[in-house]
Amino acid sequence: MAPNPRKRKAVTRDVPAASDSEEELADGLLDGILSHSEGESDADQEEDAESDTSSVIEGLSDEDEDEGDGTFSDTDPEDGEQGIREQMRKLNTRDASAQLNGVDHALDLDSRPQTDGELDEQEDENLKPNYTVTTDANGNPRYLYKEIDPVYDSDDSDAPETTNTIGDIPLTYYDEYPHIGYDINGKKIMRPAKGEALDALLDQIDIPKGWTGLTDPATGKPLNLSEEELDVLKRLTRNEVVEDGYDPYPEMVHYFSGKKEIMPLSAAPEPKRRFVPSKHEAKRVMKIVKAIREGRIQPYKPPSEEEEEEEERVYYDVWADEKPRPENSMHLAAPKLPPPGYDASYHPPPEYLPDKNEEVAWLAADEEDREKDYLPKSYEALRKVPGYERFVKERFERSLDLYLAPRVRRNKLNIDPESLLPKLPNPEDLKPFPTMCAAIFRGQEGRVRSVSFDPHGIFVASGGDDGYVRIWELLTGRQVWNVKLSDEDAVDAVKWRPTKDASILAAAAGESVYLIVPYSILSPDVEQASRDILDAGWGYAASKPSTTTNGVTKEPPGKWARPGSKFESKGVLVQATVRSMVKIINWHRRGDYFATVSPRGQSSAVAIHTLSKHLTQLPFRRLKGIAQTAQFHPSKAIFFVATRNTIRSYDLAKQELVKILQPGAKWISSIDVHPGGDNIIVGTYDKRLLWHDLDLSTKPYKTLRFHQEAIRAVRFHQGGLPLFADASDDGSLQIFHGKVVGDLMENATIVPLKVLKGHKVKSRLGVMDVDWHPREPWCVSAGADGTCRLWS
Amino acid sequence: MAKIQKKGNSGAAKNYITRTRAVKKLQISLPDFRRLCIFKGIYPREPRKKKKVSKGSTAATTFYYTKDIQYLLHEPLLAKFREHKAVAKKIAKALGRGEAGDAARLEKNLVPKIKLDHIIKERYPTFTDALRDLDDALSMLFLFANLPSSEHVPAKTIALCQKLCHEFEHYVITSHSLRRSFLSIKGIYYQATIQGQDVMWLVPYRFVQRTGGDIDFRIMGTFVEFYTTLVGFVNYRLYTSVGLVYPPKFNADLDAQGAELSAFQIEGKGVATNGDVSHGDVSVTANPEAQALADRIAAAPVTEEEQPEELQPVPAGEDENTETIDKFEAVAPDADVLPQPQASSAEVAALFAPYTFYLARETPRAPLEFLLKAFGCKRVGWDSTLGDGAFTSNESDPSITHQIVDRTAIPSEDASETVDGAAPKVQWPRSTMPGRTYVQPQWVWDCINQGKLLRPDLYAPGAELPPHLSPWVKAKKGEYDPNLPLQAQELEGEAEAFEDAEEVASEAEAEESDDEEDEEDEDNAMESDASVEAGEGMQVDGSEDEEDDDDEEPQKPTDDWDGIDSDAESDVSEGEAARLQHQRELEAEATGKPLEPEVQTTKSKNAAVRKKAEKKRKEEQDERDRQKMMLSNKKRKLLKRIEYGSNKRDVEAENLRRKKRKLERVKAAAGAV
Repeated sequence: MAPNPRKRKAVTRDVPAASDSEEELADGLLDGILSHSEGESDADQEEDAESDTSSVIEGLSDEDEDEGDGTFSDTDPEDGEQGIREQMRKLNTRDASAQLNGVDHALDLDSRPQTDGELDEQEDENLKPNYTVTTDANGNPRYLYKEIDPVYDSDDSDAPETTNTIGDIPLTYYDEYPHIGYDINGKKIMRPAKGEALDALLDQIDIPKGWTGLTDPATGKPLNLSEEELDVLKRLTRNEVVEDGYDPYPEMVHYFSGKKEIMPLSAAPEPKRRFVPSKHEAKRVMKIVKAIREGRIQPYKPPSEEEEEEEERVYYDVWADEKPRPENSMHLAAPKLPPPGYDASYHPPPEYLPDKNEEVAWLAADEEDREKDYLPKSYEALRKVPGYERFVKERFERSLDLYLAPRVRRNKLNIDPESLLPKLPNPEDLKPFPTMCAAIFRGQEGRVRSVSFDPHGIFVASGGDDGYVRIWELLTGRQVWNVKLSDEDAVDAVKWRPTKDASILAAAAGESVYLIVPYSILSPDVEQASRDILDAGWGYAASKPSTTTNGVTKEPPGKWARPGSKFESKGVLVQATVRSMVKIINWHRRGDYFATVSPRGQSSAVAIHTLSKHLTQLPFRRLKGIAQTAQFHPSKAIFFVATRNTIRSYDLAKQELVKILQPGAKWISSIDVHPGGDNIIVGTYDKRLLWHDLDLSTKPYKTLRFHQEAIRAVRFHQGGLPLFADASDDGSLQIFHGKVVGDLMENATIVPLKVLKGHKVKSRLGVMDVDWHPREPWCVSAGADGTCRLWS
Repeated sequence: MAKIQKKGNSGAAKNYITRTRAVKKLQISLPDFRRLCIFKGIYPREPRKKKKVSKGSTAATTFYYTKDIQYLLHEPLLAKFREHKAVAKKIAKALGRGEAGDAARLEKNLVPKIKLDHIIKERYPTFTDALRDLDDALSMLFLFANLPSSEHVPAKTIALCQKLCHEFEHYVITSHSLRRSFLSIKGIYYQATIQGQDVMWLVPYRFVQRTGGDIDFRIMGTFVEFYTTLVGFVNYRLYTSVGLVYPPKFNADLDAQGAELSAFQIEGKGVATNGDVSHGDVSVTANPEAQALADRIAAAPVTEEEQPEELQPVPAGEDENTETIDKFEAVAPDADVLPQPQASSAEVAALFAPYTFYLARETPRAPLEFLLKAFGCKRVGWDSTLGDGAFTSNESDPSITHQIVDRTAIPSEDASETVDGAAPKVQWPRSTMPGRTYVQPQWVWDCINQGKLLRPDLYAPGAELPPHLSPWVKAKKGEYDPNLPLQAQELEGEAEAFEDAEEVASEAEAEESDDEEDEEDEDNAMESDASVEAGEGMQVDGSEDEEDDDDEEPQKPTDDWDGIDSDAESDVSEGEAARLQHQRELEAEATGKPLEPEVQTTKSKNAAVRKKAEKKRKEEQDERDRQKMMLSNKKRKLLKRIEYGSNKRDVEAENLRRKKRKLERVKAAAGAV
């Protein structure tokens, strides 16, 4: 199949190619005439001619080589070849001769009269100069000559075509010789091979037997096939039987015939068992017969299915001899399903039916999230009750629970919640404590930052963002005195001197602490006593200037001065200025010392001022952490300093660290020492109120967390009532009962008493400060809403 | 020195085994393991220290006791399973060869029959154990008895389940051990007390059950296989314990005609029957129809005698019952209540004994028949369409005392026309039989649960039924009890608060309530053209609105006060009120007029009561909060957990009370209109 189409294809390919070349030929001719040049077609023709002859030449060269004629120089054979080529062209190819000869053009002209006009034009053109003048790249004139057309009367055409270079000698002279003459160099020109010679050559070359021209792919050597093999191939291609002498339809030979042979193959005699009935079998049959006779074997009857079933189900008393399960067995019986409630009824009381919202919620909920797997519904009659859709599913789920769910015995929480709650003393018994807002002191602008009761409990001093220190009368709620301490700075702290003999108010604004005697509201003798106390220190600091070792006067930590006549007329008598903003003032119980805390001033953060000497001292050269607040011990010479995380107590007499308390808070806001001196409450910005028992541990005894926001201030009642209060940013005060018993074995009892709400929260600040009345169970609070409130 | 113990070789790590390891150990497939677990009643356990058991991994795993699995290794069923597997292979091979006959033969002869008798004894060492676990078994069998047969559920299984269920029902009837029953939306709950054990089961209503895609009937089938064996043995034991022959004779023909319970013939065991049988007429003789006839003859004079008895309000048996336990009722409300036994079987047997019932064809026959018979009724007849085996299927039988119907009566204007035959043909919806009580089915259930015959007029056909209540719910403290009046349950001030809230809400709902009231009037169904009636309605509403307006004027400020729940504020408001009062008095004195008594509207009274209650509650709450403040964190969390349950209960109860109050209000409004 395959070779034929390929052949055909080759043919079909050849045919158009031939026609193309013919067309090209014609075109080439026309072109040549038009352009008077030798077109591509001419060259093609030449090439064609060359290719035609090439095989011959090759053959010749082969012949030369075969003859071993190595004496020829390189050029010789070329020349010879060219000559032969020319001869051959003359002899064989008509086209070549017609085109190569210039003379033949006349013939062409004759044969093609239609090109006469064109020829005339050519002649006219010959009269014109055969060049054109153009300018070249350098601007010089350039002559472009037309191509020389070797026409009939051109010079070249005169020379006769030299076809034979041997000269005008008859070839017969050289009949006996292998050459036919000599060339211009005197070399022999060999006689071209004739047909007979080629044949003789071909006869001489013997093709090896079985040569196929193929290579054996296995060995790489040329593949030779023997005669037989070729024959086989030939037969195969013809679909013939390959082997010679094979008969596809041989005659049938009967190996086994129906004919009975007379002689047996084996001479052995026939065994007995072939013709005697078996005794063994008879025995077995008799056994069965006997069994049948005796009724041991029943004739087979296929049992019906019902009978089988009947047979299967045989019940008896399984629990005939029942023994209870051993006590120690780990068996847990499956819990029973709870009985249905009222709402599972087909006709429940109407209040059990879900309302619209409940129904929607039930339907919207995921099946697993539903508290009940059914929606209560009421049917007015039993006949209207439909089937329950989930019946099979519920039973299936129950089965799954029975074999898949782990069973655990859980103790039910059976604790009376009341028993958990501690027995607290009745709030009535804990009275008195502040319960309600008794008065509101209005008039401040901006936040009130600090409040303080005077030691007699008649006045309340407050200081706030507006820079004023105000004094209010407690009973009337009237503002009785005020002074503006600063225009820029807020009054951060106000504190009355705790002794009753004089009435001195310390207020901090900015970096200054002002000591005030509001004489307009005081009786003259008290006023005089107060002035005496303040004036006692004048000149003390001047007489003893603090000097350092190298004699250079160091800047004192505090400058004590008179604030000026304007202030002095109001009663502000002393101004003590420290290095950074004062936030906290705390008096020593005797009133001779007060401590100020300015959290920003690193080494000068805590300062202790001596009123009688007008002296400021910095007890700590370096302080660990940022100081938040500081306080004197109510009875001993101990000083408490709270940094952000810890509270340190120092013995002022021995000048050493006594104790470090670690409340575990992130940021302490304020502390207060119990009047007994053994307990400290700590308020923190992380919403906790911590009670420290100094005798117990460095960790808090109780941690109270009842505020939603930071705690700003904490304060014990100083006048003998077991109360303390804290003020928080959530706008509430919490009042606690905190009783400390002298007995060391007993811990303090802390009872929450009251949440006092009333202050409004402004820009996330609620109550800023709180202070207790010196005797009564009253407290006053400073709010960020610009009011102070008295709670009683 | 003691040897160092390697971790994971003793204790919890050794006592528990994961399911995968168990299956590997037993060398069976997972489905076989599942079957084995279901049969043997082996369930996963929750180790107390899970981390130790799972050796640190936190993946969710099921654990079994290693001992449980160890015991399974010697289980005879395991060998059966293996045999089964071998046969299954042979059958598969035969089928592969296309030898269907061989396969059938193999299946018939070689497939091992699984017997679970030994497991029953093993799982339930005593009969009481078996009774305790009967709930699930009965529910499952009753479900399968009502399922249609399918490829998963062979008809044979269903028939077996039906048979076992009927046998059990017969026992319950005979021994009068049924105590309570409840019509739920899921089905009918029954509770029987058998040998001191409460057995509760649920029977679906007779509808085609929906069997969704995610139900694995192979698991259910395994359970049913076990439960049928269990119930079979339990039935045997129960029957023999009351001197009956088990299995009872089963009449397939009667069953085919829908006789159900009557298809079984209960027989006493010989002459020597014990006392239990004496009060139950268990030995139904061969021909039930003949028996029914005889019964009817026997019953006929009795019913006539019973008529006067019915009129007596107190049953005559009151003084006779000296043996029965008297009911102790606490006189003081705060005393402890001691549990007392429920109704004895004698009382149960006597409840319906004197009466003859007839079931109309729209009533569910099976549960009613079972219930009535279990509570002593011997003569239950029904319409012939409900199946065979009735005492009578003649509705006009004069012996019938009660007829249970579930249809409203049709006014019988054509009753006279039908009277042309010799006997008056009495058919329920058209006419009634004189002297016969017609009740709805719920009457039977409510009578049973309350242990006495209730007034049938409440349950008359067409009447609005009283709510059907579950007999198992015992109201605890703080829970809502629908049996008690609302006033007895609600918290102080709750009703007033509700009323006020309603008043506020009524403004918004005014139009809706108008519509509702209109609907209740039933006279202006079409609102468009019933302008006159609508006008009337408006008048009524308008007057109410006026009242409301009057009331709300003083109401407004109090509402405002409510908004701020500060003690101080409320104190101030009270002080304010006192001050106002004082001012008024002064004015009155000045003008010389007698002081007008302050108009005490219901609203203001309500407000006062409510405020007082609220204050009190608030105080309590404050106190509690104070106490809670002092708790340690651990205890506070514990308390929170305890309170969660009680809070939920309280909220639920309050919700129910609120709904009830609303309903009462609507009803009152409807009554007023």
